[in-house]
Amino acid sequence: MHRMSRPMIALAAVASGALILTGCTADTAPSGADGGGTFVYATGDAEPDCLDPHVGGNYPQALAGSQVIESLVSRNDDGEIVPWLATDWSVSSDGLTWDFTLRDDVTFTDGTDFDADAVAANIAHLQDPDTASSTGYLAVQKIADVETVDSDQVRFHLSQPDSALLESLSQTWVGMQSPAGIERGMDENCEQPIGTGPFVVSEWAHQDHITFTRNDDYNSAPADAKNSGPVAFDSIEWRFLPDSTSRYAALQSGDVDMIDNVQPDVLASALDDGTFTVLNAPRTGASNRIELNAGKAPFDDQRVREAFATGIDIDAAIDSLFFGTVDRSFSPLSSAEPAAYSDPSAFAFDSDHAADLLDDAGWTERDADGYRTKDGTRLSLSFPVSTAQSIPAEQSLFDQIAAGARDLGIEINIELMDLSSWYEALGANEYDLVSAPYTKVGPDVLRILYHSSGIEPAPSGYFANHSQVDLPELDEALDQASASQDDAERRELYQQAQEIILSGHYVVPLYDQLNTFLISPDVTGVRAMPTLSTPSFVDASFAS
Amino acid sequence: MTSIAAPPLSRAHRIGRWALQRLVGGVVVLAATATIVFFAMRLIPGDPAEAILGGPGSQTSAEALARVRAEYGLDDPLGVQYLHHLARLATGDLGTSYSLRMPVADVIGPLLVSTLVLAFSALAVAWALAVPLTLFSTRGSRVAALVGNGLELTAASLPHFWLASILIVTFSTGLGWLPPISTGGVLGLVLPTLTLAIPVAGFLAQVMRDSLLDALASPFVLASRARGAGDARVRFVHALRHAALPGVNLTAWAFGYLVSGAVVVETIFARPGLGRSLVSAVLDRDVPLVTAIVVVTAAAYVLIMIVADAAARIADPRIEERA
Repeated sequence: MHRMSRPMIALAAVASGALILTGCTADTAPSGADGGGTFVYATGDAEPDCLDPHVGGNYPQALAGSQVIESLVSRNDDGEIVPWLATDWSVSSDGLTWDFTLRDDVTFTDGTDFDADAVAANIAHLQDPDTASSTGYLAVQKIADVETVDSDQVRFHLSQPDSALLESLSQTWVGMQSPAGIERGMDENCEQPIGTGPFVVSEWAHQDHITFTRNDDYNSAPADAKNSGPVAFDSIEWRFLPDSTSRYAALQSGDVDMIDNVQPDVLASALDDGTFTVLNAPRTGASNRIELNAGKAPFDDQRVREAFATGIDIDAAIDSLFFGTVDRSFSPLSSAEPAAYSDPSAFAFDSDHAADLLDDAGWTERDADGYRTKDGTRLSLSFPVSTAQSIPAEQSLFDQIAAGARDLGIEINIELMDLSSWYEALGANEYDLVSAPYTKVGPDVLRILYHSSGIEPAPSGYFANHSQVDLPELDEALDQASASQDDAERRELYQQAQEIILSGHYVVPLYDQLNTFLISPDVTGVRAMPTLSTPSFVDASFAS
Repeated sequence: MTSIAAPPLSRAHRIGRWALQRLVGGVVVLAATATIVFFAMRLIPGDPAEAILGGPGSQTSAEALARVRAEYGLDDPLGVQYLHHLARLATGDLGTSYSLRMPVADVIGPLLVSTLVLAFSALAVAWALAVPLTLFSTRGSRVAALVGNGLELTAASLPHFWLASILIVTFSTGLGWLPPISTGGVLGLVLPTLTLAIPVAGFLAQVMRDSLLDALASPFVLASRARGAGDARVRFVHALRHAALPGVNLTAWAFGYLVSGAVVVETIFARPGLGRSLVSAVLDRDVPLVTAIVVVTAAAYVLIMIVADAAARIADPRIEERA
């Protein structure tokens, strides 16, 4: 027992005297003899607006939704698609007809049977404009028709071949929900979506926490899980804890059992301390990278892009600002993607060579401030940065890159903005550099990010090809990969595509999309799903 | 204010007129607040429809956007949207939150209670800290005055985020006495309350010290000492009462300071409340929710100012005469 000093006792007495009026009750501590009890998870991700991951479709929804909702297929650590709610599947030789065999012994937690009709209802829900689905909508865009062959047989008819279909279906944003749950309408389904998963949503106290309670009838873990029955935890208290330092303090004080969005400074001190289990699970899809807008001057010139990509010592900056906790990436894809191809040589630091390239490109004059000019125009780059998407360490990295660029005679104007303003700047083509995360299962993310069809802004102004790469040979490789039924050929094509993107210096890869968890030493068996890197507690328990 | 020619008004009449003036003034302030919030929210760049569907990592389809624009009336001209907005507010309809998809009225009640609990706890603790500090620093010794003054200045200038971190490191991770997050229990309220209360205590103590010193030097204190009152009685009963008046006035101001401090404190301690919601609502371009939070906060502030004014009039009737 700690001994309080006299002034402290006085202070505590005064404080509790003032607070007693609020009439709240103290929390009970988690415990359990059988490895069960209440598990407290503190997330630093945004609180979802809606727990139904079909609606909209962002990462916070996948984080929370994956505790409740399961998918037709999953992916194992080797990147192979494995059975989940579907046990088997086959595709026709033209790639347009997909047959799935479903598990016939699974029910949703409201008692509704999981069957072919349920799958059809889910695809219809995703494709219904009223759902306002964006991520899931894109994933099932090529499914033209869903045919229920039998109660456990469902057939998808596609408008075009889609080699990424299984990877897309493995995402929580395309997860299977109870048709009866969906029919309650969006408001109710957003508050409490109903799936087949290990937990059910029992309470959502907005801005505070979600309570997930155990599904005692759970029998549908993915094929690569160790446990196939109900989980050990009685419930999860899923707390929203936006401040990074408080999150770590709460883990240290034992108020929570696991935290996500561990920032580099916290990770460095946790690694030093050694008490907590570190789970590093880079998000899938794209790596974190700076995209160079090749659609307009000055980055329409390959030499200027190469000068920027090689003239600044980015490795050193990352190492110091991230306390040595991250590895530099040289790929447009996350290292969690087996198809990722790296080319470090394209980004070897050489400031002299970079200066020569800029001279070659005609940026030879210098103005009064020491920046390079050409025909009286300063070599100046605009860099809108979304504070919602770039963590503080990354914002500092961009500042250091700007300082390095200054030595090359390049001016970089970094503008910090909130997400809506950032979308607006992108839509107005008012950027030369940009960093945008993109999470998706599988290398098909390359098609979304670098196919020329992604340059055309939607009426909203949103488009995904921020580098504005427009190369027929790249489009062709991506289209072929999308249509290919052959895994080896597909892999080869995606490598070609990455070689083109890297050697053209359309992007400067930085590191994987950071996704680090810290877990109490009292907990075992937590893993990150090899699909969207969301935490799974199917095999987890408190150590006895 | 009253002209010389006007007939003298009865006391009830004057109170009535004062209340009416205050009420009308309050309504004008609220309408102006709602107007400023609406245009400020629409002048900052960014499409609310993107924000409604968006969030980091979400890829919005054109169909979904068109849908949302129509549903929320974002296609209408700005003037029309503004008039709709005011008309709705005037009938007490706070609308539906874009981001939470719930009636704002349902959302805001618990948040208001949570923030008020925090603000009033902080005020109570601030007073509890300020009074002993004032009495200590006016004991007459130079050292006490210096130490007191130093403490007040330091406390008053501490930034919330720093104070919060120090309190968490000391009492949560260090000593393990108090939770670093506000989980709904009384214990969870202690650190957020202290974070908000300590700077306010600094302000209060400083103001009260000056007037306490004035009071101690004034004839009525001398008179009570002459009547044989002990030092403690003089300080606690006579002088402190006098010195507390500016503190009471400052308390009304402090309420505004506490609500703005709640933005930081509620985020750090993960406590639901108006401040934290305001930040996320602004980022979400959630016009109905931002409007409601700002208007409700303004209404609370107006109300507290009226109460403080009334209290000051009761305590010191000379104010009324001067008016």
